[in-house]
Amino acid sequence: MKINSILIANRGEIAIRIIRTARRMGITTFVIKTDKEPNAWYLDEADQVIDFTEKLNDIPEFMDIERIIDNARRYQVDAIHPGYGFLAENPGFARRCEEENIIFIGPSHEIIYQMGHKTIAKDLARKQKVPLLDGSEGSVTGSEEARKMADRIGYPVILKASAGGGGRGMRVVEREKDMDRMFNLASKEAEKAFGNAEIFIERFVRDPRHIEFQILADKHGHVVHLGERECSIQRKHQKLLEESPSPALTPTLRKKMGDAAVRIARSVNYYSAGTVEFLLDEDNHFYFMEMNTRIQVEHPVTEMVTGIDLIEQMIRIAEGEELPFSQKEIRLNGWAIEFRINAEDVQSGFSPSLGTIEKISWPEDEHVRVDTGVRDGSLITPYFDSLIAKLIIHAEDREKALHVASLAIRKFWIKGTRTTLAFCRAVLQNRNFRKGKFNTSFLSNELKIHYHHEPEEEMLAAFFAVYDYAREIHEHEDKLLYAEKGKEINPWLLKKRLR
Amino acid sequence: MVKEGTKMKKSGVLIALSSANRAFEFRNPLQKRVKYQGKYVDIKLREDPDGFSYIVWKNKKYMLDVIEKNQNRYTIMINGVWYSFTVETPFSFKRRKRLDKEGNSSARVAIEAPMPGKIIEILVEEGADVKEGEPILILEAMKMQNEIASHVKGTVRSVSVKKNDTVMKDDVLMDIQIS
Repeated sequence: MKINSILIANRGEIAIRIIRTARRMGITTFVIKTDKEPNAWYLDEADQVIDFTEKLNDIPEFMDIERIIDNARRYQVDAIHPGYGFLAENPGFARRCEEENIIFIGPSHEIIYQMGHKTIAKDLARKQKVPLLDGSEGSVTGSEEARKMADRIGYPVILKASAGGGGRGMRVVEREKDMDRMFNLASKEAEKAFGNAEIFIERFVRDPRHIEFQILADKHGHVVHLGERECSIQRKHQKLLEESPSPALTPTLRKKMGDAAVRIARSVNYYSAGTVEFLLDEDNHFYFMEMNTRIQVEHPVTEMVTGIDLIEQMIRIAEGEELPFSQKEIRLNGWAIEFRINAEDVQSGFSPSLGTIEKISWPEDEHVRVDTGVRDGSLITPYFDSLIAKLIIHAEDREKALHVASLAIRKFWIKGTRTTLAFCRAVLQNRNFRKGKFNTSFLSNELKIHYHHEPEEEMLAAFFAVYDYAREIHEHEDKLLYAEKGKEINPWLLKKRLR
Repeated sequence: MVKEGTKMKKSGVLIALSSANRAFEFRNPLQKRVKYQGKYVDIKLREDPDGFSYIVWKNKKYMLDVIEKNQNRYTIMINGVWYSFTVETPFSFKRRKRLDKEGNSSARVAIEAPMPGKIIEILVEEGADVKEGEPILILEAMKMQNEIASHVKGTVRSVSVKKNDTVMKDDVLMDIQIS
């Protein structure tokens, strides 16, 4: 069935990203307006705005399944795109769409459920003979059982939310005496973030790389992978920089991991875009972690190297079309890197930084793509994630991409809030990063100072403070002069001041 | 203010004192020929058509912005990195140094809540020494547990919140005496 209209149950940069493709395909777009950011940019980009500013209940707007479904029906939209986060991996939402004959642009609710439940997903992988880390077969009931399990696996172990994702509800336990405390923290955080306190336990691989494979699958049994994304630059399991391809993979390893990813997708008759995440240890052994059944924040790096618009493919797959390419026809061209520019204060441990984006600008260049949901005057609110923009660089090879990135970051200007730009510079300056030698411990072990500064910057900043202060005093004196002498400036004082 | 300004003009000297107590002395900051620590320096301050301020220094461009300003306290962002200063006249600078020597150091910094939320855990006690970037408490907001870190090196003088408190943005969480 041809899709003529889409309701985007999301906001910010990803809403705008989806609108761009939908518009090109001649599809009408609907977005949701909340009272938390009634002047946000994505509202202006859509064809129609659905007003959620009036509160009907305490459910956050983008989580309110029934209200979204009601409005999709009222406006007779053909399909819903959930973006990432919010309801993107909520099987209940996908099921409600199916019940109401609204096309959910993503996989079926059964697939979302299976992959969302990590212990079920691990079982599927095990049956496909995809390597897994030693751990609990299902959820553990409490810290008592967790301790017994950890004794068998050996410390360190990692506790993860069964319903989790995005790094929340994860804790590493180094020794037995920390287990009780960590277990409580993890399950509390899991309960809060996912409404499910279940925890499972796994052997913890020290200093692995995080490598994920992009999958596309249609409803006719065709499954392909679009290569990998290297996502090892993380802070507390939150990705900060991603690239494609990964400096760690050889063509042989890529084929092996890609095949494993495709097998997992096939085993559940997957369709839509999806991502299979692996850990890669120092000896290049890989282990299946989980599958994300949605578009990822970092999808642009894959789009840049493959030339494939992933949102377009998601829509076409949802319409029932067959994939227009086979695995053999997919080529990876050049190198792409994405920098997440967040409203965070790197100098205070990446704490969130709110405020107004007074000005934002970046260099326009054939190698540069910027996906953002903000423009001059946009507010950074405490209600949503801290992502301001994604700076994506594409060039022939990694060295060239890093070079272009350094120049682009220097010319990426944001006025009004603290951002992670200085962190991006620090990563780019690091020798081991430049050599491609890094893993998920890069921030804690390798990058000693999380922001890059140049020796004379402090002096120049000091000058600016002094300059601004002196100028204010002069303006203040000017006012006094005018006040004293009407409109006439006292020539005596003026002369003195000019001297 | 005016009094201080007059003083500034007389000598033409202003000093930016960093949070780590480094002093940067400038003479005639508003004029073409600026002296830094007694020597002429070629600092060109410009504004581009988009309204961004920048400095040209040794043929390199540095983007600048005043991100916080409260009387003589400044936080300046330069190329994405921020620095805090107080701007002093030679007179106030001397007085400050004298007071510091007498042990009445006023170099205290308040750590404020960057956003509204709930205090989940306090990681340091009064009297504890903290490093720059060291986490001092965990604030839950946006469904995330955010570590709030000290942006200065010093000693915790007072903790203004306790576990499970709800705080508003800019509420003082701790006072830290800079060392």
